[in-house]
Amino acid sequence: MKALAEVSLEIPRGATVAFVGPSGCGKSTLLKLVAGLLAVTGGAVVVDGRPVTGPLKNVGMAFQNPVLLPWRTVLDNLMLPLEILRENGDPRAGDRQTWRDRALTLLDTVGLAGAGDRQPRELSGGMRQRVSLCRALIHEPALLLLDEPFAALDAFTREEMWELYRELRRAREFTGVLVTHDLREAVFLAQTIYVMSSNPGSVAHVHEVKMASPRTLEQLFSAEATELIRLMREQIRPRREALA
Amino acid sequence: MTTRSRRIVLPLLIFGALLLLWEAAVPLFRIQQIVLPAPSGIAHTMVVTAGPIAFHARHTLVTTLIGFGAAVGLGLLLGFAIGASATVRDALYPLLVAFNSIPKAAVVPLLVMWFGIGAVPAVLTAFLLAFFPVAVNVAVGLATLEAELSDVLRVLGASRWQIFRKVGVPRTMPLFFASLKVAVSSAFVGSVISETVASNAGIGYLMAVAASDFNTRLAFGGLFVLGAMGVLLYGVFAVIERRMTAWAYAD
Repeated sequence: MKALAEVSLEIPRGATVAFVGPSGCGKSTLLKLVAGLLAVTGGAVVVDGRPVTGPLKNVGMAFQNPVLLPWRTVLDNLMLPLEILRENGDPRAGDRQTWRDRALTLLDTVGLAGAGDRQPRELSGGMRQRVSLCRALIHEPALLLLDEPFAALDAFTREEMWELYRELRRAREFTGVLVTHDLREAVFLAQTIYVMSSNPGSVAHVHEVKMASPRTLEQLFSAEATELIRLMREQIRPRREALA
Repeated sequence: MTTRSRRIVLPLLIFGALLLLWEAAVPLFRIQQIVLPAPSGIAHTMVVTAGPIAFHARHTLVTTLIGFGAAVGLGLLLGFAIGASATVRDALYPLLVAFNSIPKAAVVPLLVMWFGIGAVPAVLTAFLLAFFPVAVNVAVGLATLEAELSDVLRVLGASRWQIFRKVGVPRTMPLFFASLKVAVSSAFVGSVISETVASNAGIGYLMAVAASDFNTRLAFGGLFVLGAMGVLLYGVFAVIERRMTAWAYAD
């Protein structure tokens, strides 16, 4: 079965783009293709000028499920990427102290200063998701892939996470690719939003979000933002009905 | 009283009460000692024959632990292979299930034919009974690894082997240690079955001899020793489980 057809797009370095659409439109497949976790059956994925043939190594990923290792402390969870890189003789590994400092700085940025020695089970869902984001960023990847990272959080925590992403992005240069069901999330975080349709998945509409950056949550209530959200909703809804 | 001590004291109280009930019932209903001896009589016999009982208990313990040790080794190996590779799982798992459904007592006569009467069939029976729970638990632990977690590591350049070591193995440990409790009990059952049928040492042998002598007290004595050993073996591995994988029992 074909999950995706006729998707052709280019993501500028340093931008954050979002993919929204009904379930089964191939959003997650697209993300895995970009990461090289799935191989394309036709066409090509090019990242940083090179065609993707296997799992990329300069990528960070975070999912709806934070998948922390419950037998490691928060800090040791963040050190896991280092262990992998070091074993593989990756030049990015560096020394342990540098990584530790980097992990502590990241934890500080996401408001988890002092939580390094805690066990993941002691943290709330929002806190775990923050740690998961830190883990995705600790090797300073050029590309951050997020698959509905905040979908399991309550509305207020989710808005905090959006602001957190904004802060992380401000502190560091990376390209973000976000898959989400949340249209407000897409409008807040992305410069470009791709509305996808399913069977097989393809890009149906492209929207440039013209709101100034850095954005505030207040801006989501502006006429411009609400109009865009309403429009995308209309674009997704008939497809849902067609499916039903 | 703490929950912990409650869990030890309460069952012991009930056990003691049942013994008293039993002690009272034997003279009350005029049950013949040869059919059902009173606990006091059994205790007396156990004290008198403490030496031989200890010798046979040690023998059973050793055969159980040897069989168990081999079972853990093979169980781990099989479990890792089945959990790590879908091909191995499809090829081996049905066979394992089929093999496990054979009552192991039925294999003892064959083992005796090959290895003669003695400790070897007991060790082998213990082994045959014990490796299955270990293999299945380890395989389940590996096979239920979250796909997201492997993805996170694969985009760091992690190999399958690295994911196995860093995530698969530690994640499987709670299931592995849980299976040890089950496996050691199974090994114990296996060696006693074999001793009862074909051995010249071990508690199983002791009970078989006692039964053929109509020494009901000694047979019951053996039963109590088996019960105590079984609880002890299970308890030791339950404690090890808690110690090794505390992170899995936080709540």
